Amino acid sequence: MIPKLSPERVARRAATALALAALAGFGPTLAQAEGDHRGGTLRLVSVSSQGTLDPHINYTSQFWQLYAFLYDGLVGFKKVGGADSKEVVPDLAEAMPVISNDGKTYTFTLRKGIKFSDGSDMTATDVLASFQRIFKVLGPTAGTFYNGIVGADTCLAEPAGCTLDGGVIIDEAAGTVTINLTAADPEFLFKLSAPHASILPSETTPKDNGNEPIPGTGAYMVKSYDANNSMVIVRNPAFKEWSKDAQPDGYVDEIDYTFGGTEEAAVNAIMNGQADWMFDTPPADRLAELSTTAPDQIHLSPLAAWWYAPMNVNLAPFDDVRVRQALNYAIDRDALVSLFGGPALAQPVCQVLPPEFPGHEDQCIYTQDPGTSWSAPDMEKAQALVDESGTKGAKITVVTEDNAASRGIGTYLQSVLSDLGYDAAVQTISGDIQFTYIQNTNNKVQLSISQWYADYPAASNFLNVLFGCDSFHPGSDASINISGMCDQEIDARMKAAIALGATDQAAADKDWAKIDAAVMEKSPALPLFTPQQVDLLSTRVGNYQFSSLHHWLIANAWVQ
Amino acid sequence: MLAAMLSRLARMVVVMLGISILTFLIFFATPGADPAARIAGRNAAPETVAAVRHDFGLDQPIWVQYGAMMRKMFITGDLTSFVNRGEKIVPTLRAAAPVTLSLVAGAAVLWMALGALTGILAAATRGRWPDKMLMGLSMMAVAMPVFWVGEMVNLITQSRLHNTWAFSWVPPLGYVPFTESPLRWALALVFPWLTLAFLYIGLYGRMLRTGIIETYQEDYIRTARAKGLTARRVLLKHATRSAIIPVVIMFGMDFGVLVGGAAVLTEVVFGLNGVGRLTYQALKVLDLPMIMASVLYASFFVVLANAIVDLLCILIDPRMRRK
Amino acid sequence: MSLYESEDPDMTTDLDTPPPAPPAGGDPAPPLGPWRRALRGLASSPAAVLSGLGILLIVLAMALAPAYAKYVAKTDPFRSGLSAKIMIDGTRVPVMQRSTEGLGLGVTPIGPTWGPQYFLGADNQGRDVAARFLYGGQNSLFIAGAATLLCLACAALVGIVAGYAGGAIDAVLSNLIDMIWAFPVYLLAISLSIVMLGKSFDFGPIHLSSSSLILPIVIIGLVYVPYVARPVRGRVIAITNSEFVLAARALGIRPSRILWRHILPNVATTLIVFAPMLMALNIVTESSLSFLSVGVQAPNASWGTILQDGQALLYSRPVVSMAPGIAIMVTVMLLNLFGDVLRDILDPKSVRGR
Repeated sequence: MIPKLSPERVARRAATALALAALAGFGPTLAQAEGDHRGGTLRLVSVSSQGTLDPHINYTSQFWQLYAFLYDGLVGFKKVGGADSKEVVPDLAEAMPVISNDGKTYTFTLRKGIKFSDGSDMTATDVLASFQRIFKVLGPTAGTFYNGIVGADTCLAEPAGCTLDGGVIIDEAAGTVTINLTAADPEFLFKLSAPHASILPSETTPKDNGNEPIPGTGAYMVKSYDANNSMVIVRNPAFKEWSKDAQPDGYVDEIDYTFGGTEEAAVNAIMNGQADWMFDTPPADRLAELSTTAPDQIHLSPLAAWWYAPMNVNLAPFDDVRVRQALNYAIDRDALVSLFGGPALAQPVCQVLPPEFPGHEDQCIYTQDPGTSWSAPDMEKAQALVDESGTKGAKITVVTEDNAASRGIGTYLQSVLSDLGYDAAVQTISGDIQFTYIQNTNNKVQLSISQWYADYPAASNFLNVLFGCDSFHPGSDASINISGMCDQEIDARMKAAIALGATDQAAADKDWAKIDAAVMEKSPALPLFTPQQVDLLSTRVGNYQFSSLHHWLIANAWVQ
Repeated sequence: MLAAMLSRLARMVVVMLGISILTFLIFFATPGADPAARIAGRNAAPETVAAVRHDFGLDQPIWVQYGAMMRKMFITGDLTSFVNRGEKIVPTLRAAAPVTLSLVAGAAVLWMALGALTGILAAATRGRWPDKMLMGLSMMAVAMPVFWVGEMVNLITQSRLHNTWAFSWVPPLGYVPFTESPLRWALALVFPWLTLAFLYIGLYGRMLRTGIIETYQEDYIRTARAKGLTARRVLLKHATRSAIIPVVIMFGMDFGVLVGGAAVLTEVVFGLNGVGRLTYQALKVLDLPMIMASVLYASFFVVLANAIVDLLCILIDPRMRRK
Repeated sequence: MSLYESEDPDMTTDLDTPPPAPPAGGDPAPPLGPWRRALRGLASSPAAVLSGLGILLIVLAMALAPAYAKYVAKTDPFRSGLSAKIMIDGTRVPVMQRSTEGLGLGVTPIGPTWGPQYFLGADNQGRDVAARFLYGGQNSLFIAGAATLLCLACAALVGIVAGYAGGAIDAVLSNLIDMIWAFPVYLLAISLSIVMLGKSFDFGPIHLSSSSLILPIVIIGLVYVPYVARPVRGRVIAITNSEFVLAARALGIRPSRILWRHILPNVATTLIVFAPMLMALNIVTESSLSFLSVGVQAPNASWGTILQDGQALLYSRPVVSMAPGIAIMVTVMLLNLFGDVLRDILDPKSVRGR
């Protein structure tokens, strides 16, 4: 017979067991970082994992957040909260590179004594192998971030035999790495800070390593990963802090990441003290309740992101600029903010660059009193423009993603389009498929809902990527210029602004603000709002810091 | 008999082959399903997309791709996902199977026990209020969408009444392996079991009741009663025993279908990482290798259950056999 | 698939247990056709009359949706009303209420007012849930009804052909039935919905647009064909193998006459018995498909899509998902009750006059 236990007794037993386990995890000898806060286990939950662990391939914010403390590049974004997090600091390199040859040559000197988590030394050979590997594994950004390296073109054409001859030159003895570019690129250091440029051991297989963890240089390492169940992250035994800015020693001893459940369940688990943080955004219907019952557990942080509705400028009726402008005048951005959870969670915008982003200058032409900010929709103007265009009654289908927010926006846009006199319909597709579906011109999507999250803080990452001629590939699923806008004049100005950035970033940012306005004049998309990141933490988590690129800095937080 | 079994087996292979080919064709006929760009990542350069297409063999004729996929699934076992790059399909499915089995087996025990109880009790009290009440409840159970029941259960046990004595013991959603802690395994599955079983208790209870009442009309039962056997003995020994045969056959089919992953929505609502949830997620992102594997896995169980049931039918009633 | 989760073995008993023997005594033609027998029996059963009336009542209520929206709720339930306001106790209240306490996160639609406007509250778009509920019922019942007819027609055709022809035709059809049964319905549904996206199909005079209800009808209708086709086939086989049909054949009676006189009436009985249960099943299936966003597209509604809308409001406004959930439950129960009586009347094996 099993002795009958009351629920409280069971709970107490579990608590004791947990305490014992925690005690076993950290001894007093290890306590070196800020005193009492070191140690303990963080319990993270997410509805699902995001595939391969390979940092050269994975392109999801969920795992990039983890790579922040698992891997290092030559340089990296500063691991602090706030505006300083946009700054690039030397990481595996001793100092910022020496830039010469008109901005085309970057010379790095590697730090000495850094080891991978398998105990081997990190050397210049590993750096060369890692850059080659970006191409060999067909990394998602190989052709967009690193195509400027000398020899990259042959690597892209023939990935298996990639050498980057003349592009990446190493001196093993001196511990230096020289990277040559075909043209100056003011954003190259940002690109090197992305996890796709992580330095991995040279013996790592030159193909997708899947769910097998690859040794890294970060403060932690992945002990086990089961994509359908959980990930256990522990301290990297070979790690010694070399730069608090680049790769700080973490507080917690272990991070347990569980995959499964539902968003509602995750909120419940955090509120019931069974988990510490959820990756997914808390469901909208819980926010009002949470903001009164647990205001201290919620952290709001601005995201370098843009929710927008691209209009296909090559398809009727949006091939008429008046129709595009009319819709921009007609949408009630305040209503859209409501759909996303209110003004604390979303800020209405009518331009491309998000607030506080390089090149952003407050401007809004699609509002009742054009000026710096949006106030109210201008239905009369919208109606007049539609009448003028003579497109009333045209059929328009809005293609949305299969989630509450996107579907809600789609339904709202359908309503506005009907008010303007169009025959509008909504069609919902699963998120993953929707994103490639709306890009392909063969699918003839007129209007869709999408989002863009910046990879690094540069205006071109929004404007040039989303509306540049180079990102428009008719007939391809990878054509991120969803609007299909290719305006030669604006495109030339964007190229000039990128080039100017190499010498004078401030002047370039001024140009970007003007380009932003010029793009909005053409109205290739409906800017909807800038979302806020919502992090819900358990009561025991302290020292919350938010970096605009890595989001919540997990290693900087403590649980005791 | 052997011939019948062999022909059933052949049919099974044909059906599974047909399903896999159909799935394959439907996938490639769907616009936007092409995985190359999705595998390559957002805003990948055209060269990268082309290289990925070549690397995954997506530039080859469709039958070559089909052959390669079948080979990777059944022979080399290294089929990987199109969406979660690097995720090996076969081990993932194998890891998910115990979750589904736990859910379905537990629910099956519940529904067989409670279903039998409901059916027998209702038949015994035919026409009186316990019968009417039980049948009303059963009808209700059958009439509710299972994901809706699950959501309502979660709303109550996880949030609204979680802090009361009644539900404070309910663990967060998710699965705990039996080997890790049998107690926590059971606690985590209590409500999923009940939710899934609820429907089947209703179904089986109703069916058993009808069966028992029907057999009451048969000659041999009348004889038994005429011989002076007690009502209870007749009910339990004779009527129930013969009425349970179709129930057992039904059970075979339902169990097969559910183990194959048919408890999709139950698994989704309760966040259990079983075969059903895998299928659901794969479908949402059109992950062909995962869809293919789970479809074949499911159809194997469905077809197997059908075959067993058919064989049983032939055993019981030779009339089903073709002359 | 989840569709199987809602399967009703009452039907599957038919499917797998041996079909009942033909009427005893070898009477070649039953005295009454199944329709008349059914009607006569139904009229004398209080349960059937009550459930029938209940179903009729539901259908009527749903038919009144436009009138309700226009004269009672005074709203257009297909237009977003995110900045709408209504009068409650003399004050103007916004329909979408922004949280003002704490951090001020979240927007909650107004809850049930139990008055003429927003009787059941609003949904995420600020639309009247009660009005949408009625419109949604129309679509749900229409889809389920049409899918039932489609399913019965296909099943009868397949079942009779397979059962009567036998041989290779039977083998092919039986395999096809097995395949449909084991096929991932959701894959077909998702794929079809993408294929149909923004396009319209034209087969001669038939015109299908992506927003029409045809897609869910076709999907739901085809899914359950095996369910009905198998028992039909079984019954046809049993009858063709029965002594009196064999005798009739030996006497040289034309096959078409055998089909007409003996097989069709029996099959019709099976189909009638199945109809209400299938309809019930289809209502539940429609809601499952909506769970995957396949089926009725916004801004149109069905009980399934309202359930889905309600899912996003489950914790703040549970009534949005409870209303369609309960409606589905009641409708399905009534249909099943009706179906039970029908079955008792028409199925020769079942007990009458309890």
